[in-house]
Amino acid sequence: MHNELKITVMQTLESNKKTIEESINPISLDLPDFTTDSYKDAYSRINAIVIEGEQEAHDNYISIATLIPNELEELTKLARMEMKHKKGFTACGRNLGVVADMEFAKKFFSKLHGNFQVALEKGNLTTCLLIQAILIEAFAISAYNVYIRVADPFAKKITEGVVKDEYLHLNYGQEWLKENLSTCKEELMEANKVNLPLIKKMLDEVADDASVLAMDREELMEEFMIAYQDTLMEIGLDNREIARMAMAAIV
Amino acid sequence: MFGLIGHSTSFEDAKRKASMLGFDHIADGDLDVWCTAPPQLVENVEVKSATGISIEGSYIDSCFVPEMLSRFKTARRKVLNAMELAQKKGINITALGGFTSIIFENFNLLQHKQIRNTSLEWERFTTGNTHTAWVICKQLEINAPRIGIDLKKATVAVIGATGDIGSAVCRWLINKTGISELLMVARQQEPLALLQKELDGGTITTLDDALPQADIVVWVASMPKTIEIDTDKLKKPCLMIDGGYPKNLDEKFQGENIHVLKGGIVEFFNDIGWNMMELAEMQNPQREMFACFAEAMILEFEKCHTNFSWGRNNISLEKMEFIGAASLKHGFSAIGLDKHPKVLTV
Repeated sequence: MHNELKITVMQTLESNKKTIEESINPISLDLPDFTTDSYKDAYSRINAIVIEGEQEAHDNYISIATLIPNELEELTKLARMEMKHKKGFTACGRNLGVVADMEFAKKFFSKLHGNFQVALEKGNLTTCLLIQAILIEAFAISAYNVYIRVADPFAKKITEGVVKDEYLHLNYGQEWLKENLSTCKEELMEANKVNLPLIKKMLDEVADDASVLAMDREELMEEFMIAYQDTLMEIGLDNREIARMAMAAIV
Repeated sequence: MFGLIGHSTSFEDAKRKASMLGFDHIADGDLDVWCTAPPQLVENVEVKSATGISIEGSYIDSCFVPEMLSRFKTARRKVLNAMELAQKKGINITALGGFTSIIFENFNLLQHKQIRNTSLEWERFTTGNTHTAWVICKQLEINAPRIGIDLKKATVAVIGATGDIGSAVCRWLINKTGISELLMVARQQEPLALLQKELDGGTITTLDDALPQADIVVWVASMPKTIEIDTDKLKKPCLMIDGGYPKNLDEKFQGENIHVLKGGIVEFFNDIGWNMMELAEMQNPQREMFACFAEAMILEFEKCHTNFSWGRNNISLEKMEFIGAASLKHGFSAIGLDKHPKVLTV
């Protein structure tokens, strides 16, 4: 009688030949053709979102300054930086011969914009900071980080410069929320529950266009979660609290 | 500080652990959610060496699961993101556990130095392979005589001989043990011939030819999903050291006088007081761990902040001796057959 030694295992590298073949391909092969109509069509919406996003950021920082007047100088500086970014991204579209679809972008941001305006009117600074300094900034940083890897050379350079600035903004919101965590935690959680799902929806809405630009939805979401988690961690929330907040992104 | 980057052995297992740790948002998620989950620093721990030195360390779960191996980009991101987190936390030396180092090597991640605003510093990371190779060799030297195998007369087969750990094991066996014969098995023939030339010894052969001749078999290959081996054709007694990842020599196989030993596992002299090795399914989770993890601890104890094990085929006998001596000094020992007896009788 033969006793057979049967080796059954979890996944191994050898059982995933395709993975290995893919891994050998140089990354540069992932770059899309920037000149095709389909690329330009998708770019007209993505570029518009980015331009509108920077405009929103500018307006939001100016608005936040009305709630904390002693931070006016710092916030005005931030707002100015956002306008510089807007110009940079406008140039990216022009460089590819694309006209940004601003109407689409305004609609894209409308819900988040509306929630920010309501919070502003009520003087809910925590909600305003969550929307702008955490969610929008993390959304922007994640998208830029993914875009840099697949952008045309001109846009790549501009986006790299922008990302450096964007990390500063995250820090700004972080610092205020960190200092005031004991009094603002409840509002932060509530505002997150309402607004994080919007970010998820926005990501889903641009997923198809983003994929034409070789930006992977999964990667965008992961980058967002990393930036988001990092900020919440810095603010002083623990793993479980962050897990509870992040939950809002998947329900 | 030392760091350990690990992952769960399966998606189901990962979900169970996430739920235990209170990470409900990913515990409830499907594989797509896990593919977007950031790495998590799940535990901080203080470890005191047998010499009395205390060090601190962190365990990072990359949120990678083996089911992601079919998604090359996802696997790549999981590894790089976990490494970035380790560096951002200021960890001096981090071991890449489980599939982490395999993915790093096989997917050539050296070309991805820049992760967001972090430029990865390779000197902060180690594959831990030098210690793993040394531990496997010690397990062989100590346990073979215990089951009646005389090393001087023994034929040893190394399956996966050209890998980083495999080649180091061959190097040690030829130079340090006085075994009778070394059989070397690997898929790629060219590196095998080069290894044979370097060692000036060893016989190149196939798996089918090697197994019936071997008194001791060291498995350090990443195995295909299913292999069938006729255990009747194996020598008796036979010592099998499962040194690859995953540990995939099924424990349930039947064969008289075949002794299977989990290779590359060490035991610390004292309880560590952590939860993570429980998650790695060690039999004595307060003391046992993968040798590659222990390498990061040893390097931290020794204040040797360098990528000690890095790249392929860089493991010298001197490095194995260094890490081995330090391993013993700080209270680690290789687990043996007496720890986990798996003498299987029909």
